Amino acid sequence: MLFNSIGYLIFLPLTVAAYYALPGKWRWILLLAASYLFYAMWKVEYVLLLMAATAVSYYAALGMEAHTVKKRKKPWLWAALTVNLGMLFIFKYLGFFTGLISGLSDLTGLPGQIPYYAILLPVGISFYTFQTLGYVIDVYRGVTKPEKHAGIFALYVTFFPQLVAGPIERARNLMPQFRQEHAFDPAAFASGLRLILWGLFKKIVIADRIAMLVQPVYGQPEYFHGIQIAIALPLLIIQVYADFSGYTDIAIGSARLMGFRLSRNFNRPFSARSVADFWNRWHITLTTWLRDYVYFSLPSRFRGKTAAWRLNLNLIITFTLVGFWHGAQWNFLIFGLTHGIYMALANISKPMMEKFNRFSGLAAAPALLKALNQASTFLLVSATGFFFGQHSFSSTLTLIGNITDFSNTGIALKQMLQNNDFTLSLILIVFMLRFEALAGRPGWKEHFMQRPLPVRFAAYLAVLFFLLIFGIFTRQEFFYFQF
Amino acid sequence: MNRQKQFFRNTLIFLLLTLAVNAVLNAVYDRTMIYHRLNRNQDRQFEEYNDTLTFLMLGNSHDMINPAITGNSFNYASPGEVYTQTYYKLKYILEKTGKTPEYAVLSVDPANFSPKAENTLKFDGYWRKYVDYPALARETGDFDYYIKWFTGRFCAYIGNYKFIYMSVLFRDADFTQVKNGYRPPRDYRNFAEEPDRNALGLERATSYLAGYGNKPDKGPETYFRKILSLCRDYGITPVLVRMPLTDEYLMHARKLVDLDNLDRQIEEIAGEVSGNYILLDFREALSGRPELFFNADHVNPRGADIVSEKFRARMQAHINP
Repeated sequence: MLFNSIGYLIFLPLTVAAYYALPGKWRWILLLAASYLFYAMWKVEYVLLLMAATAVSYYAALGMEAHTVKKRKKPWLWAALTVNLGMLFIFKYLGFFTGLISGLSDLTGLPGQIPYYAILLPVGISFYTFQTLGYVIDVYRGVTKPEKHAGIFALYVTFFPQLVAGPIERARNLMPQFRQEHAFDPAAFASGLRLILWGLFKKIVIADRIAMLVQPVYGQPEYFHGIQIAIALPLLIIQVYADFSGYTDIAIGSARLMGFRLSRNFNRPFSARSVADFWNRWHITLTTWLRDYVYFSLPSRFRGKTAAWRLNLNLIITFTLVGFWHGAQWNFLIFGLTHGIYMALANISKPMMEKFNRFSGLAAAPALLKALNQASTFLLVSATGFFFGQHSFSSTLTLIGNITDFSNTGIALKQMLQNNDFTLSLILIVFMLRFEALAGRPGWKEHFMQRPLPVRFAAYLAVLFFLLIFGIFTRQEFFYFQF
Repeated sequence: MNRQKQFFRNTLIFLLLTLAVNAVLNAVYDRTMIYHRLNRNQDRQFEEYNDTLTFLMLGNSHDMINPAITGNSFNYASPGEVYTQTYYKLKYILEKTGKTPEYAVLSVDPANFSPKAENTLKFDGYWRKYVDYPALARETGDFDYYIKWFTGRFCAYIGNYKFIYMSVLFRDADFTQVKNGYRPPRDYRNFAEEPDRNALGLERATSYLAGYGNKPDKGPETYFRKILSLCRDYGITPVLVRMPLTDEYLMHARKLVDLDNLDRQIEEIAGEVSGNYILLDFREALSGRPELFFNADHVNPRGADIVSEKFRARMQAHINP
């Protein structure tokens, strides 16, 4: 079920109403049933997969609790890792690796031709697998106590607002909330509604509009050149932001209607001053997950000392995994690898850049330096737009080849400016970024909430009817559902 | 408790306000939307049409055959119309108005049979007069038709910012030019003067034809068959016309669709359902003459008149062999 569908428009109010109508002790049953229904609406068979991931992680955690010695806990940890990652591998990566082996076999002439397996990717598998893995590792490390209530644990894995595309929640944040009895809180409820409205606005009005401009470029790259590609690259990144942060706002807002607080996933990523800063602000729950469970687990010492080169290598490995998490394609691998290299290079060149800033006088003009850093970060991130998406690697190569051809710039620009959706997209992007910057200022929300009721209602109505009139109502899937 | 009461009171006020604004917007949109006005003007003209009805042109903006040239005709084509809508409109005409044409003229271009064709079923605010949305939902198993009916009835403006913009631009549109349903095609641009005709041909062809298989899409095909069956039941001869397209559009269309194969299949369907159809192929009739087009796939008034002449000449041969 999509958040931007009529089905969800019916499902959510019914679930929320039933949630508050039920006594506290029954609510988890309602939420669990609603979550399975929510998932089953997409493909009922894959509910079994969800249940399997839940059962394995649940029993593995209980198995670990029975032992105090880490060595005894390890088999349970490995069992959970093997099953969860095994499912992820089969459904997400098997096609990639069978294709790779066959390709290598073709290339070298060695035997190795194996059938190509491409299985329909269960929606949200990358998200719920990471959530269950995080839980199992936390139990192993002793950070989290195992949940004994199978129903509450199942709800932690399947909670519908964040099931299919996050935020990837830690057990210590979400699980205790299922045991709390949430009384109806008008302020939290209204805040949830506002988030849902804003999330829908970003998805339906901004992201889907930009998608109309960007999709043809990635779909048929042979027909696009120079300026068209140069504009499509940053637009794609902004589209993904509006889409995914819109989804996240709806998820957080939906949970908040019932009194749950989900983790923040975005923090104005386009104001980042470096690529590392960008990842501290973009898909925060994924990057912190990989930081805690992968980056910190990689060896950082060499000959008894912390080695900078090892830390940089770890960064590259972690971000290559970030790329590969998005999809089993060369494009995503290169996307992650490039981001890792960006950050490693930034670390290596830091002393040199500081010297340059002092020498050039930029260090004495912090506002200018900040703007330059923000602009260069945005450009670097946009450049990786070549590799972000489900388009083929040959399409990426065509895009890279065609971007140097600026012979039709005048005509292309004229055509773009004649396209009302292009102009409107630019205006809306500025509005979105400006509004989020404003809303992020301390005290701004409180200031807005103190405005007279008619003023607030006028603002809500303006956003709502702007959304209804200017929205693209073709029910485009959310970008991150493919992961 | 007081906070909760206040919240529910405020929510109720907000919902009522939302409904009120929606009702106003829907009413304004329904009355002023340019295509609603255009289509309803056409409906009025058809009601008032009392001459012999030899040719009834049906379809969309591609079906630019001028009744003033063909004579005894009414052009009932409307913007963005798809076969599903055409079927229900023809059914309404035959069952409710008592007017039966001798020939029903219908374009059979690749765009008509595209998988994207049915998705563009729009202007529900107007079409709910003709189309049986619940029947469509039952037949296709697509729940969306109920939603289309609902939005068409109660909030037709949703997602239609382009038509609001156009309605503002054409608020003083002169409907006196519309004769026997025929609205002269757009003429404020000329395809021959476009700097990059190839790109425009690609853009139009892609927007209609990308994702095509090697055969007509099931949705349009079903209603194409129904139109032909309706014609057969009422003794109407279907005239299937391949309308002119620019060289640029055709070049890209041929890359996206096997046109020869598609044409063959359409003829097979027509032969199966209606034995006595007439096929007129003007697809390349204006080849090498971009000045006769408004854009890559729409003729301008001069182009339309040339096609109408050709149509008249060819049909003359059929009527008086």
